[in-house]
Amino acid sequence: MVTRLSAQLPPEIGVALLDTDARSLQSAATVQTVQLGRAQTRGMGTGGEAALGLASAESEEAPLRRLFTGVPIVVLVTGLGGGTGSGAAAVVASLAVDAGATVLTFATMPFSHEGERRMRQANDTTVLLGQKCHGLVVVHNDLLLQQVASDAPLSESFAAADAWVSGALRGIASAFAPGALIAADPGALRSILATPGSPTLYAHGVGQGEGAAMKAARAACDCPLAHGPGAVTKVASLFVYVAGGTALTSTEAFEAVAAVRTRFGGETSTIICARIDASMGDRTEVSVLGASLPAPKAAPKSKKGDKAVDPSQPVFEFATEESMRRGLFGGTPMTFIDGQDVDVPAYIRKAVRLPATP
Amino acid sequence: MTPKPLPSLIAVIDIGTHKTVSLLGQIIDGKARMLSFSERRTDGVVKGTVTDLEKLTQCVHEVVNDIERSSTRAVEQIYLSLSGPAAEGERVKGFVAVPAHDGKVTAKDVADAISSAKRLEPPAGRSTLLYMRQPTMLDGRAVSNPVGMAGKRLEVNFWRVTMEEGNMRMRVGMVNGMSIRVRDFILAAHAAACATASDADKQGGVLVIDMGAGTTDWILYYKEHILCAGSISVGGEHMTNDLSVALRISRETAEDLKQRFGSAVHRDNDVNQIIWKDGDKGVGDQQFNRGTITKVISLRYQETLEFVRKDVLRHLEHIFPGHAVKLDQQMIPSGVVLTGGSANLADASEAVQLVTGLTARIGIPNFENDSLRKPEYAGVVGLMTAAITDAPPVVRRPRGFIANLKDLFRF
Repeated sequence: MVTRLSAQLPPEIGVALLDTDARSLQSAATVQTVQLGRAQTRGMGTGGEAALGLASAESEEAPLRRLFTGVPIVVLVTGLGGGTGSGAAAVVASLAVDAGATVLTFATMPFSHEGERRMRQANDTTVLLGQKCHGLVVVHNDLLLQQVASDAPLSESFAAADAWVSGALRGIASAFAPGALIAADPGALRSILATPGSPTLYAHGVGQGEGAAMKAARAACDCPLAHGPGAVTKVASLFVYVAGGTALTSTEAFEAVAAVRTRFGGETSTIICARIDASMGDRTEVSVLGASLPAPKAAPKSKKGDKAVDPSQPVFEFATEESMRRGLFGGTPMTFIDGQDVDVPAYIRKAVRLPATP
Repeated sequence: MTPKPLPSLIAVIDIGTHKTVSLLGQIIDGKARMLSFSERRTDGVVKGTVTDLEKLTQCVHEVVNDIERSSTRAVEQIYLSLSGPAAEGERVKGFVAVPAHDGKVTAKDVADAISSAKRLEPPAGRSTLLYMRQPTMLDGRAVSNPVGMAGKRLEVNFWRVTMEEGNMRMRVGMVNGMSIRVRDFILAAHAAACATASDADKQGGVLVIDMGAGTTDWILYYKEHILCAGSISVGGEHMTNDLSVALRISRETAEDLKQRFGSAVHRDNDVNQIIWKDGDKGVGDQQFNRGTITKVISLRYQETLEFVRKDVLRHLEHIFPGHAVKLDQQMIPSGVVLTGGSANLADASEAVQLVTGLTARIGIPNFENDSLRKPEYAGVVGLMTAAITDAPPVVRRPRGFIANLKDLFRF
């Protein structure tokens, strides 16, 4: 996924691929790579062992610290369920936080068909990640299957996940890149995600043709990521990124932002970032990132280690609770029948496309 | 083991995920007359699991106060229903080699076999809540009363229900908190069956599925006796949740739409129907495609029934290892009786037929009071029926449950 993504990203973003499997690293020749757990796995995968993934990441602490030095925002994209993702993600995230970066994590949950063990492993990791990262967006793989027609090739459903994540990356990168129509200050973006453990909202939509901006905004409002089980629906602070071709007017851009605000809130603060990109033609793209807690001013972080005792950076444990993510059934033990988490709606697990709403 | 005489007043309470109902009845000539009834919304239970004990305790106290107040009688003992996967069942067996020279079984042999079955310890950390009689076998033949018959090997079987000790203590403590004693536990699915399935149904074979808000309990009767019972943690709330996720609406709206437009079977024609949320087409009213609603609900409904079907088969394989047991009309001639709040969903019995291939009907409890003749009250009405019919002959405890409780709680 990282290699696929790196091809679509603007040059301002540095991409690094972390894995225990040496072969997958070799195949990604264009991006920077860090091989985890050379001593533990000797270049093989972890075989689904989260403990091995954890040890692998811990053993490569020094190169990881070097990687994160001086990076203001880290977007961590990880697939949970397997050994490397589930074990290493939390370690990598906390190293990045220690290095002073604002960390936004996109974590994909395994398909329901992958069974109970992987799902539990993934679930445990999301709890850890929720405590460590400033923002955590959970992408349920089951949702991907619904995005495409039932006879579509497999690659198409994964392309949907790529589009979601790369939309976020482009939006964040644009805050730094020169030439934005309405520029956003990187500090402002960081202020939204300033509090670790706050539930994060993320949505992405694309529109094309006449009224592309409104179409994109509506698509973002209906984005499955913002409506998955236990997803956050109203937030206090929003970051809205609108990108379109030369035809995009600022009126259109603001209309799109207004539509998004009606849906998701953003009363405390809404940061708007718009961008014209001739290569986009008549397409318009809207990405929304938000956090539920009123974002306080990002306190200057101390350089090393003592982050956890900083009283101005409270860790909102309640927000990382399972109840936030599992909706109505939070606070009860997960129920597995035939290896499926039955609290997840049946139509999602069975990947049934629903008739369109009028 | 002389059975204790039945008190003239019987109080039963059914604590569900959605509502808690209680019934107080007076026994006249072996039949119950309803004295009072109370129903309240349950707080603090999700998926049949207690999440907030304080709220639940308060709710139970309110319900008991209600029935005491409206009947002006004091409740001393109460029957508590048991549902959800917390109560696990298994088959236990006891053997005796008939010692008499003439090979005739005596009452003492039966008692010995029973006590050998009950000597089997429950798994560590669990305590036994109840024993339900299963067929007694003499040399491999099922007999209803073996005393006086000739044979070599006598085998008694019970369906034993156990629960994690802490969980059981919590439930008992909740009722004890207001100086009322738990007289006995009754399996909720068994209660529902007592209210809705006839003796003839049980004689032939019947599967009773009690689909509540948080859990779906089932019980299978075969040749008069309980063959096995089980429960899965999926119920009507899951359908509401699915709908609220799919349509991006609140849980309350989803519950309302589920009741008004939901169906357990999705039909192609539903897609062409546009429905309004409030119906007044005013500000804030939303329109939905009925096909979406029935699709989401029917998928979950039928999946839940499929889980039940698999669960039943799993239990049957365990009981009859090596036999290819099929759930068909031949084994279960009376088919499925569906009770519980989720049995009210449109086309529910059709969905059961689709999934199980058995005939199905909605179980309406047979009770004097018209307002309780609804599938969701099968549980509480059945508790009353079960308390009366089961009590004298099948009090399965050698010492009586209260005696055991006294040891446990020292009151």
